[in-house]
Amino acid sequence: MHELSVASAVVEKVLEFVSAHSVKKVLAVRLAIGELSHIEAEQLRFCYVAITEQTPIQDSALEIETVEAVVNCERCRYRGRPKYWDDALSVGPIPTMECPNCGGAVEIAEGNDCAIKSIRFAVEDDGLAIPAA
Amino acid sequence: MIQTIEASPDEIYDIELEHSLLEANAQLAKENRALLDRHGVTAVDVMGAIGSGKTTLIGRLVERLKDRFGVAVFNGDATTSSDADLIANQSVPVVQIATINGCHLDANLVGKALQKISLEQLRLVFIENIGNLICPAEFPLGSKARVVVVSVTEGPYMVRKHPHMFLGAQLVVINKIDLAEAMGVSVAELTKDVHKLKPDLRVIPTSCKTGDGLDEVTAALLAV
Ligand SMILES: Nc1nc2c(ncn2[C@@H]2O[C@H](COP(=O)(O)OP(=O)(O)OP(=O)(O)O)[C@@H](O)[C@H]2O)c(=O)[nH]1
Ligand SMILES: [Mg+2]
Ligand SMILES: [Zn+2]
Repeated sequence: MHELSVASAVVEKVLEFVSAHSVKKVLAVRLAIGELSHIEAEQLRFCYVAITEQTPIQDSALEIETVEAVVNCERCRYRGRPKYWDDALSVGPIPTMECPNCGGAVEIAEGNDCAIKSIRFAVEDDGLAIPAA
Repeated sequence: MIQTIEASPDEIYDIELEHSLLEANAQLAKENRALLDRHGVTAVDVMGAIGSGKTTLIGRLVERLKDRFGVAVFNGDATTSSDADLIANQSVPVVQIATINGCHLDANLVGKALQKISLEQLRLVFIENIGNLICPAEFPLGSKARVVVVSVTEGPYMVRKHPHMFLGAQLVVINKIDLAEAMGVSVAELTKDVHKLKPDLRVIPTSCKTGDGLDEVTAALLAV
């Protein structure tokens, strides 16, 4: 469900890009998904394929890269990977907000965003100048 | 047969976009927050699984607070207005927010709801999010506190199964403790699980039926 709204946001942005430039074909859209953003890559891909059908970006590849979580501890100044909870019953070990160093509470520094990194595309044959981003 | 056209390498471009998909919502959430702050209003986002008791809890809190200061309620409900009706019986302003995807509320919808009520006389707004344990965590609304309502009827492992929701919360309510024994669920174990995820997260066990813990929740919300 959630993946669907993310996929729609991706498609909307890419279509906006396509209509503003002389794009012949979008080959790939590269996303950076934070480990803490809870977006499931497979589900996202599925939604992407479904909603790009019959659009100018049909058949473009969705490349998903995961951005690892980084947390900060105010108490002991730790900065790095979070502590993981292995007995959680979700798919794999899950990141927690407990400091791996001192056991205090940490804050998220990186890994909770979800962004379009780049778009790979072919330009029209009479492709004018290099389109600007 | 599928035909593919390969563009020659010199016709292919890679453009960096660096466009955040969550940024637009985050920005609107900030605007909501600024509007609320200007009027001295605190918004509390109430999240949690379907049927955990979000509406009932909000109703019980409204009962306790409405004579002291202005309270309003936003109900995110995918399909019906039954939740909104339940609260409206208490004659406080209620706005029902129907989401399109039925998945989570977003800052844009909450911003629209804020336009529908007068903020002048208000001190507290409860925002009941859609019953969903996965999505709303990433969509800040502009609230000062996010409360996750879980209930013992969801079983002993509900925190482990849905850890994401707790990471960004300021308060966890474990509701329906009147049913804990019958369900064979330990409130202490659920609390321990929450603290494994986030050591400083406040947990208050409640029963909307007996009233247990409601004073504590009220006090916690007044302190945010
Ligand atoms: N025994 C008991 N029942 C409760 C308690 N709190 C809520 N309920 C009941 O649980 C059911 C669901 O409560 P709601 O308040 O509608 O739950 P909700 O989280 O708002 O549900 P959705 O909005 O549909 O996700 C209702 O029948 C309530 O009467 C409680 O503390 N104890
Ligand atoms: Mg409800
Ligand atoms: Zn630490």
